[in-house]
Amino acid sequence: MLSRLMLGVVLTAAMVACASAEPQKDRANPDAAAIADFLKRVNAYVDLHKKLERTIPSLPKDANPQQIDQHQRALAKLISDARANAKRGDLFTPDMERIARKLLTDIFRGPAGDQLKREIFEEAGQRNIAPKVNGRYPDEVPLSTVPPDVLKGLPKLPEELEYRFVGRNLILLDPHAHIITDYIDRAIP
Amino acid sequence: MRFRRLSPWVLLCSLVVLVCCASAAPAGPATVVAGERPGAPADAAVAPAQEIQLPNKPDSLKFAVIGDNGDGEKRQYDVAKQMAAWHERFPFELVVMMGDNIYGSERPQDFVKKFETPYKPLLDAGVKFYASLGNHDAREQRYYKYYNMDGKLYYSFKAPKQDVRFFALESTYPEPDQIEWFQKELESSNEKWKIGFWHHPLYSSARTHGSETRLRATLEPLLIKYNVTLVLNGHDHVYERIKPQNGIAYFVVGSSGKLREGDLRKGSPLTAKGLDTDNAFMLMEIDGDDLTFVAINRDGKVFDSGVIKRREPAK
Repeated sequence: MLSRLMLGVVLTAAMVACASAEPQKDRANPDAAAIADFLKRVNAYVDLHKKLERTIPSLPKDANPQQIDQHQRALAKLISDARANAKRGDLFTPDMERIARKLLTDIFRGPAGDQLKREIFEEAGQRNIAPKVNGRYPDEVPLSTVPPDVLKGLPKLPEELEYRFVGRNLILLDPHAHIITDYIDRAIP
Repeated sequence: MRFRRLSPWVLLCSLVVLVCCASAAPAGPATVVAGERPGAPADAAVAPAQEIQLPNKPDSLKFAVIGDNGDGEKRQYDVAKQMAAWHERFPFELVVMMGDNIYGSERPQDFVKKFETPYKPLLDAGVKFYASLGNHDAREQRYYKYYNMDGKLYYSFKAPKQDVRFFALESTYPEPDQIEWFQKELESSNEKWKIGFWHHPLYSSARTHGSETRLRATLEPLLIKYNVTLVLNGHDHVYERIKPQNGIAYFVVGSSGKLREGDLRKGSPLTAKGLDTDNAFMLMEIDGDDLTFVAINRDGKVFDSGVIKRREPAK
């Protein structure tokens, strides 16, 4: 009887311990699943990018501007065709968007926020430009600076993608194809 | 190269500047100073003119430094014109670029307007440009033939003369892979002169950006350990010669097209010499253990100069 009682106590304690361990793990990194999902989507995009890029001639290391432009546009067309149904949120899922918005809010509402905004807007301006998924990065807008704290806080990207700002929007830019892969609308508060 | 003679106090100031420079060599034939713009308004940041002389030796390495230049506007063209004029007298063989090489759109016609046209005389004369990428530059510029980047975001190259190696970094995304590459490259370099160049300044007195302290924490130990003598940066649209830090000479040359007037903090303890009222580029000459530099404004006048002694390896 006593041993049954002891067994029951031990099992109950073990169950309680297990039940409380899982939430603790989540609390340790509540964004891990969302970030892992985002990176999985990023990697899927990069796989597609690489596969399509292999089908066009490589850029020579001594390319002229026309070759660079033609390469960008050829790759952009291939990617856009292959992702014809792509839409906002395909990479920046709602959970990832929430994480990014929180980070950007913390940074841009922090002590250096106004200065950082000035840097970002100084040349590109705070123009009301609506990014378009699969659209070419607007030629008239200089590539923005991206503060180190933003780069440090967001998941690291492979070289086929980079974070940039267009106006207040955070975009995922494919620098080889010069197209916008996804974006978060008005990400800078 | 001889210029007009100027007031004695400038000679004294120049001497002080050189003496303050911990790594400066005694002024020999490389004494170069000068240039006030004729008719320019009084400007404390521009030293009055005086006689200058660059060694201009046949076997020396001669190169130019530009940064934040590629906006295709008049100021860029003015500076480029002065570079070409100086090249007639001081035949530098290469130009290192501190980034923000092409502002705004990067269509084929933009490469023409913002690079090939202003620097045509230099390109025609066979001068080679070596670019680093700034935060406004598309990464595809690394394939552009005139930037000699060999398709790489970061790279090093041995200078055609003297015992010099340049290291170009991509400082917008300084990922660990690049830092590891930089360390290995520095470690394996046997050249006496090691010169680093990239966009973001480790030291800067400009208000807009200022010193990139995080980047500094990563790179400076390597620069010290591997005996780098000179670091060239841009990003802030000013000219600033930094007082030597840990024996290393730093320059911000971010005004070869863009200019942010009045951006330098007056009285900054970092500044050995600054110019935020006009555009600038630099000329440098390495001969043996000495590097002579001059900084030149949009009117082609020298406003800063000096000599840097090569760092000796730690014993």
